[in-house]
Amino acid sequence: MAGKSIVVTSGKGGVGKTTTVANIGTALAKKGFRVVLVDADIGLRNLDVVMGVENRIVYNVVDIIEGNCRMEQAMIRDRKLTNLYLIPAAQTREKDAVNPEQMKDLCAQLLESFDYVIMDCPAGIERGFKNAIAGADTAIVVTTPEVSAIRDADRVIGLLESNLLTNIHLIVNRMNYRMLRKGDQMSTEDIVGLLSVPLLGVVPESEEVLVSTNRGVPLVHNRGSHAGTAFQNIAARLDGENIPIESDNHAGLMGKIKRFIWS
Amino acid sequence: MFRAIQRFFRERNSGKVAHQRMQVVLMHDRLDITPDVMEALKNDILGVLSRYMDIDQESMSVDLEQGKDYTALISNVHIKRVYRRPMTANP
Repeated sequence: MAGKSIVVTSGKGGVGKTTTVANIGTALAKKGFRVVLVDADIGLRNLDVVMGVENRIVYNVVDIIEGNCRMEQAMIRDRKLTNLYLIPAAQTREKDAVNPEQMKDLCAQLLESFDYVIMDCPAGIERGFKNAIAGADTAIVVTTPEVSAIRDADRVIGLLESNLLTNIHLIVNRMNYRMLRKGDQMSTEDIVGLLSVPLLGVVPESEEVLVSTNRGVPLVHNRGSHAGTAFQNIAARLDGENIPIESDNHAGLMGKIKRFIWS
Repeated sequence: MFRAIQRFFRERNSGKVAHQRMQVVLMHDRLDITPDVMEALKNDILGVLSRYMDIDQESMSVDLEQGKDYTALISNVHIKRVYRRPMTANP
């Protein structure tokens, strides 16, 4: 089977790229796929702590590219799932230690033995971004309902398209249904209308996310978590399952009535 | 209920405000056309029109105009006279 290489990007920092990579990757692995996560944020390594494998790192992605180790030596196996691996970023190197061509080769190599290669893209639109998208055939753009995140997402979508990466999906993260009920937040529909790329899912804002990163255990392991379920559904949709998008109906009947009256 | 009424009279919901602001901002971002490109576009339009009519080149203008939910390319052309037959592309 030909694997998929996915880059998770956003332009703006702090919108939840790393959390998204960790959770989608874990959810796909739980479904039985062979998954490798690549932290492409060279110099600002983070995916390892979110996955809880930070104290098992010996080699990193730059070591693979420079030939300091074999590819398998830099791949860290997940604590729970035997079919989930992480290739950490180098912490003490610069973004230009790697070039897009090398990342493309690495991706192609990984796709030979994995169903999903998921890249965690750094914030920004410079070298690190170009590296991260080089080997991807699919892009997931993460945004939040904030104006700054949406504007950056729009810019990134433009850059992806001009790099001929046109298979783009959107995730709206940190949807705050309480704020939405009050009318003090853009709706999912508003955001999708502005960015005009297909929606892959909506993740509600949740304190559970911080708790799970504190522990280094992705939320999708946690049954009954709304945000975890949202990530699980996103992973299922990536796999081609037809699961309806969670609508803003979370706002409840009263919220609907209120919004109807005030609109 | 009282608070809802209070809100109603206070201001528009900030979510709506954000949405409208973003519509304008993104349109501008996407249409980030440099003056050079704009000048080239103007010259091309001028070239095509000149085959059909005599145009006052000095007074011609090409601008992007931002509406509430659209962006329009507005060109103002003063026609001096119209030819009976189109001129060839390279006169």
